[in-house]
Amino acid sequence: MRKTYLVVALFGLIAIVGNHLTSPSSGRAVSPEDFAGACAPCGAPCPSKK
Amino acid sequence: MSTATVAAPSTGAAIGIDRLFLGLAIGATAILVALVLLDSQPLSAALILGGFGLGVAFLKAEFSYTASWRRFITRGEAGGLLGGLIVIAICALVVVPIAALKVDFGGAIAPLGPSLVVGAFVFGIGMQLGNGCGSGTLYTVGGGSGRMLFTLAFFIVGSVLGSLSLPRFLALGGIDPVLASDYLGPWGGLAATLASIALAAVLIIAVAKKRGANWRPSRNYIAGGIAIGLLCVAVFFAGGHPWSVTFGYTVWGAKIANALGYDFSNAAFWQWPGPKHALAESVLSDTSSLTDFGMVFGAMAAAAATKPFAATAWPPVKSLLAAVIGGLLMGWGARLGFGCNIGAFVGGVASGSLHGWVWFAACLPGCLIGIRLRPLFGLSRD
Repeated sequence: MRKTYLVVALFGLIAIVGNHLTSPSSGRAVSPEDFAGACAPCGAPCPSKK
Repeated sequence: MSTATVAAPSTGAAIGIDRLFLGLAIGATAILVALVLLDSQPLSAALILGGFGLGVAFLKAEFSYTASWRRFITRGEAGGLLGGLIVIAICALVVVPIAALKVDFGGAIAPLGPSLVVGAFVFGIGMQLGNGCGSGTLYTVGGGSGRMLFTLAFFIVGSVLGSLSLPRFLALGGIDPVLASDYLGPWGGLAATLASIALAAVLIIAVAKKRGANWRPSRNYIAGGIAIGLLCVAVFFAGGHPWSVTFGYTVWGAKIANALGYDFSNAAFWQWPGPKHALAESVLSDTSSLTDFGMVFGAMAAAAATKPFAATAWPPVKSLLAAVIGGLLMGWGARLGFGCNIGAFVGGVASGSLHGWVWFAACLPGCLIGIRLRPLFGLSRD
């Protein structure tokens, strides 16, 4: 199990760093709730807005 | 890979530091912190470190929502649930007034409707089969449980499937979030929120006493509840919203699917501004991902600091199957139910949002079914 864990942890870290270096990052970290019209932590709209 | 262990001659038990995994956990955390600091984002670094602290606190206190709920349902023991309410009460003291008074902060809110109820119910089933909720999965993965690697992998798959289902469930209808501070103001909202937590505690203790079970939280749960509550407050100040876990899983899954060629441009969920932004931007631009990564590596560091890491054997196939099914159900349920124990229940109640208590009430019967299903997979009902 240790070998599996080592592979998963290293692969995960490489994936995180790779994604960060190849993707835009415009300013501070945000949650979907920070966007206008969001009504839930995932950014879903409010029922009344439909 | 070497494991530095020092045998304890008197007991024969192996105690010591697993330098490989301790170094990996600290090194990985340092790399992530350095990356966000290079982008001049100290609050992102704070979220990673806050998550790291949460991983340590959960692992050291063995703080488990899943086991606590199971002990309450099967034996009437209330200590774990009360420990969870300590976390919520500490968060609420800060979140309710600050979210109402400061424009840069917001609570965890969600609409009330079929999506919330169905999602929370399904999540409850999955939580008992997967043997961990959103936070529990993270810290046990970090702590070296191979079984929970399966739970996490399929939690991620399930949450992407949930993101595709959510718009259809929202179309069934619902009402806008009900927030105590909207009706009673910041301090009246806080009073109502604390009163609701106290009422829940009284009811839980009454049930425990009626069943002749222990209702007092252990010292671990009291200390852990206080530490986790304070760290939740720190995460709230750094991120601007209460701590959430499962949106990160959805983003990771969608990014992997995207890399494999899946096109989300026709998926309504991924056209909403928040998810669309998260999918396009760096994974280190998403607040829930930052705390998630920190939590895994924090738990890994805490586990590796005391004993050989991941030194146990793989569990039986039936147990792994339960992990797979539980992960899928939790992932799908978390998206429909607007989060897990942390994002929906802790964050929702601590924000004074009614959806937190609705989530709790819908998740409990799901847990009951999940507990009844556990023996099919060779898992104990206790």
